[in-house]
Amino acid sequence: MSAEENPAAAPASVVDVQGDGRWMSQHNRFVQECKDAEPDVLLVGDSMVQLMQQNEVWRELFSPLHALNFGIGGDTTCNVLWRLQNGELENIRPRVVVLWVGTNNHEHTADQVAGGILAIAQLLLSRLPKSKIIVLGLLPRGEFPNPLREKNAAVNNLLRASLPRLGPVQFIDVGGSFVHSDGTISSRDMFDFLHLTAGAYRTISTALHELLLQLLEEMPQERRASLV
Amino acid sequence: MSEDSNPAATPTPCQDIQGDGRWMSLHNRFVSDSKGKEPDVVFVGDSLVQLLHEFEVWRKLFSPLHALNFGVGGDATQHVLWRLMNGELDHISPKVVVLWVGTNNHGHTPEQICGGIMAIINVVHQKLPHTHTLVLGLLPRGKSPNPLRERNASVNALVQAEVVSLSHVSFLDMDPGFIHSDGSIVHQDMYDYLNLTPQAYQRVCQPLHERIKSLLDKHDP
Repeated sequence: MSAEENPAAAPASVVDVQGDGRWMSQHNRFVQECKDAEPDVLLVGDSMVQLMQQNEVWRELFSPLHALNFGIGGDTTCNVLWRLQNGELENIRPRVVVLWVGTNNHEHTADQVAGGILAIAQLLLSRLPKSKIIVLGLLPRGEFPNPLREKNAAVNNLLRASLPRLGPVQFIDVGGSFVHSDGTISSRDMFDFLHLTAGAYRTISTALHELLLQLLEEMPQERRASLV
Repeated sequence: MSEDSNPAATPTPCQDIQGDGRWMSLHNRFVSDSKGKEPDVVFVGDSLVQLLHEFEVWRKLFSPLHALNFGVGGDATQHVLWRLMNGELDHISPKVVVLWVGTNNHGHTPEQICGGIMAIINVVHQKLPHTHTLVLGLLPRGKSPNPLRERNASVNALVQAEVVSLSHVSFLDMDPGFIHSDGSIVHQDMYDYLNLTPQAYQRVCQPLHERIKSLLDKHDP
């Protein structure tokens, strides 16, 4: 599905309706960080990514890997696509990029959302030909079974099938433990039935961290001279 | 300003547009907390309240005070008003209600937002005549100077003036000096130029904790 056909694959910045320009401020900060830092790992996405950095788990597991966090709350695939095309991949050569986005794409169908995520993965592979990509599955949400859980699961199924065909892209679903046998999600895992508590971040980060270590080990670090 | 003419003071539940009913789930949980628990302090408001619960500072400073957290991200005054009028204050008798809301009242004037905050204060007082309401000042927001900072500062001035004569209400300015000399707010304090980092929460919560403790002491001398 091309960008012309898929609205979820059309890059779009966030319009400042509130009046304090926060989205653009965050984007500009990330562009500046690309000039200053040399990350080995880049995490990009929505609030699921952004809030990770406000938890202990970031300092313990991801900072030591020289990771940068380019998450912005509320972002859709369109917003992430725009950011990556407008400076957030300049001057950096992360060996692994972790992509976690899609749960905020309320205007789009599961097919469209999956297409948007694929488009971002394709962009990453074309801009960073030596890098590996990890795509995190969308988590279930809401206290009880609801259409968004079905939609997110459908997106995950589509990604599971189509991502590996693109190249060095891995899909991992870290949402397996959150829905209890009675169909509920506990506020101990998602304090607002969407965002993760510190405990839940710890749970999902273990799997992600292990995969990152594995991938980083497989890839010999490039000598800086070869980046020129 | 009457309720009819002020949208910020008209109790309004959040419509479930996204499709997973999360706002109502949170409200229902708070109502059930009210039936089962006996808090001395109840925090009510938006994401600045809600996220406070997720960091170490809550466990260290506020859990020991027997506090409950009824914060919902995105809530404006009219949403908090609806929640408090529809069960969240029933069956409990906290000594202090801490109210922190107003920054999400987009499209409302400072006067309307102040009216919304006053409507909430009145509902708390009607339902809980022996409870003290501590209103927290709105924080500045945005990386650089912008109209919302001015709006929030105006709200604070209006609210402070309104509550000065009320013995069951007090106001606390929560800004420890987030705005630097060049007018900027840094992401080390507000990671998205609105919500607080754990270290910023530590800074603002020390004086808040002191104030709540002194209110609790006054309540039971």
